[in-house]
Amino acid sequence: MKVPGWHVLAPLAILALGTPVGAMRGGAHELELKTERRAVHVRINDFKLIDQSAKPFKFENLSGKVVVVSFSYTTCSDVCPLITSAARQVQLGLSAAERESVYLLTVTTDPEIDSPEVLARYAKRYGVEFANWSFLTGTETDLQKIWKNFGVGVKRKGRGLVDHTPLTAIVDRNRQMRYVYIGPSPDPKRVLTDVRALLAQP
Amino acid sequence: MIYFVVVCALVAFCLGCGRNERMDALYAQRCFNCHGGEGRGDGPLASALPARPPDFRDTVQKHNNSQIRRVIAEGAGTMPAFAPVLSPAEINDMLQMVRFLSREGRELAWWEKFDTLVVAHCSIPWETVLGYDQVPEQAKP
Repeated sequence: MKVPGWHVLAPLAILALGTPVGAMRGGAHELELKTERRAVHVRINDFKLIDQSAKPFKFENLSGKVVVVSFSYTTCSDVCPLITSAARQVQLGLSAAERESVYLLTVTTDPEIDSPEVLARYAKRYGVEFANWSFLTGTETDLQKIWKNFGVGVKRKGRGLVDHTPLTAIVDRNRQMRYVYIGPSPDPKRVLTDVRALLAQP
Repeated sequence: MIYFVVVCALVAFCLGCGRNERMDALYAQRCFNCHGGEGRGDGPLASALPARPPDFRDTVQKHNNSQIRRVIAEGAGTMPAFAPVLSPAEINDMLQMVRFLSREGRELAWWEKFDTLVVAHCSIPWETVLGYDQVPEQAKP
């Protein structure tokens, strides 16, 4: 049998070297899952954004309600799924009467990607009930004012990749931000306790 | 000379099928936190999620490429939908990566050895063309 020549063996040798093995394989990095709760007192200004139905949304319309506000973006594969899951647990934990007085907001940190349609699909995947929860987007300029008011830092790293403060906040009936949870996993029971304490206040 | 050209073409074709740094980088950026480095559903966020991500070795071979592409593109449960941010080529890379990870440590069916080759070089969604890519109702998010 004839042995193949260099013109056959050379390309096969290149193939045999194979494609690079992933540098990441087995190289786990740890994420900080701890969430810190703080009592604060910050006035939240009125704002206008667009909700998941592409309808205008005015924060002033929530006057007299306790509002749980969280910040995330839909293509986040980091802490946002945990933040939105926790908010969903809070929604599920509210009684029918409490749902009349408590509202949830998710404000995007990536308006470039998060159109109303994208937000609506995102909310649907979490089984959200829209009766007392809105997902908000808007122009970068409008959102920057809101991020700043809530103390959320946002840094865009690439398309669909955003570093942001993992913040969930509770705003009281008088539009004062009273509690913040900084971290990916605010405890829904703790949030509900704080919400109920604020509901008991005028 | 004809052998050289043919073998070079074959090598170039096959090189497109291997796991590469582009796929690893994409996986590290978008999947690692939940699915873990080897796709076993043990990423650093996995234990905190409401539902543990699947071990690719148990689930991936039960789904065709079109179904997996759809989950990557449209999301499922707490998994983000990547269609707004990834190109079809990147979604294909992710699909290949999922297939590679699902094969580690288990015996392969004969057809699986050729599957990544098809994914890498054939962008025609045959499952859709032939009409057998409907995701069963219970598998929908």
